[in-house]
Amino acid sequence: MSDEKAVALPAECESSKLRVLLVEDEPADVELVLRALRHGGLEASEDIAQTAEEFTRLVRRDSYDVILADYKLPSWNGMGTIEVLRQEGLDIPVILVSGALGELTAVECIKEGAADYVLKDHLARLPEKVRRALREKKVREERKQFQQELARSNRDLEQFAYVASHDLQEPLRMVATYTQLLAERYRGKLDAEADKYIHYAVDGALRMQKLVQDLLTFSRAGRQGGAFESTDCNVVLQASLKNLEAAIQESHAVVRQDELPVVMGDGSQLIQVFQNLIGNAVKFRGSEAPLIRVSADAQGKEWVFSVADNGIGIAAEHKEKVFVVFRRLHTREEYAGNGIGLSICEKIIEHHGGRIWVESEPGRGSNFQFTLPIKGNTNS
Amino acid sequence: MKPTPEILMVDDNPADIDLTSEVLAQSKQDLHLSAVYDGAEAICFLRQQGKYARAPVPDLVVLDLNLPRKDGCEVLSDIKGDPVLAKIPVVIFTTSQANSDINRSYELGANCYLRKPGNLPEFGAVVQAMATFWLDFASLPQKEER
Repeated sequence: MSDEKAVALPAECESSKLRVLLVEDEPADVELVLRALRHGGLEASEDIAQTAEEFTRLVRRDSYDVILADYKLPSWNGMGTIEVLRQEGLDIPVILVSGALGELTAVECIKEGAADYVLKDHLARLPEKVRRALREKKVREERKQFQQELARSNRDLEQFAYVASHDLQEPLRMVATYTQLLAERYRGKLDAEADKYIHYAVDGALRMQKLVQDLLTFSRAGRQGGAFESTDCNVVLQASLKNLEAAIQESHAVVRQDELPVVMGDGSQLIQVFQNLIGNAVKFRGSEAPLIRVSADAQGKEWVFSVADNGIGIAAEHKEKVFVVFRRLHTREEYAGNGIGLSICEKIIEHHGGRIWVESEPGRGSNFQFTLPIKGNTNS
Repeated sequence: MKPTPEILMVDDNPADIDLTSEVLAQSKQDLHLSAVYDGAEAICFLRQQGKYARAPVPDLVVLDLNLPRKDGCEVLSDIKGDPVLAKIPVVIFTTSQANSDINRSYELGANCYLRKPGNLPEFGAVVQAMATFWLDFASLPQKEER
């Protein structure tokens, strides 16, 4: 057995004959094709279909490794096989075999979903083309399997985060309330060290509580996939500003907004996005009062939103890190928070089919930008 | 003289019972808190069965939802389906924030739904507000002699 054959063919084809479905009306051409395969070391067992009905019946009944279809049939077109396979939900490579197929049409056929094409004058090339189509199919299948595994693993992880954070809350509540009770009941009655230790315990418990709640919020941000509705971002922005009222007043922040568009989305999730971004702009302010500008620009098929501030900015090397869950760039003494706000934003925006990023320089403010599909352009 | 108000707390977590009792002891001297740890016990207590033959008739039931043997919703529906017990106000006091639990509780006739806060100051505030509202401000049904 030659090395080439061992390498070129998927394992399942080695042991048994290649199952080929020929779409061909000329018996002489059938013979030529089979001979070409044999010459190339491919033992095939074939079925032959001449019409769409026969073809459909056969692919439903049997499983084939490859379909070799004449481009021009009296009553049918070889490209029709691809449409049938699509309707039947089958992934079988189709190689078009033709006596007269111009280059342009060939490219179009492949664009339409054919695996390859071969001219009847060059049938010697057929075996290699078959082998390649089978290899490609195997790669496709593996990729699909990986994607499914990845999706399942992501789902599991989210479920885990949800359950863990949910179930952790109960024992944590015990630790928090009872250390607080200890602090309240025994403050000044033990010694200074005891007071300090109890304080550490209370502080740790409350912080962990916040972390667990944030984790729960984060895991929910991706889980709640309610139907998107037509959502006015001006209303969304106003709602988020209302939630931030105290912080905005306290910092004398000024928020300027352009007219914002109506998008398809989950209103409460989008409120969260604006709230987190504007809340950050207020929190990470510079020496001057925060000046925040919210705008949106249509670019191609999407809106690019911008929340720009005059705050402390972000160093280039941290631009990616700020979106990582629980990632903080400052000590708790400098800025409170658990480093979850931007990761929630990212999750929500990705859930809406958009992207989020930041443009910034230290000391020169940050411009957080995100995209949302323009209404009517969304397929989901 | 006004009789001492009676509260029955149904909760499988002794820490929550102790905490509630602590908070109440700090603010209200004149009440009595009984506690049972599962749903079936709660029903025996309320019906004064077995070892609870001499149990006091509560003015208020504070009921957790997640209980062993008979869960909170079953206890609630037993209480509200019993002509004698139905008029006792039942406050659901639980960690669940699920809308389904809140709606179901009210559907089954809960008089109030309170979430257990995660820290002491809020926990204390909620328990005190509950006791003040139900035992000081609200007019309660007259207890039947049994």
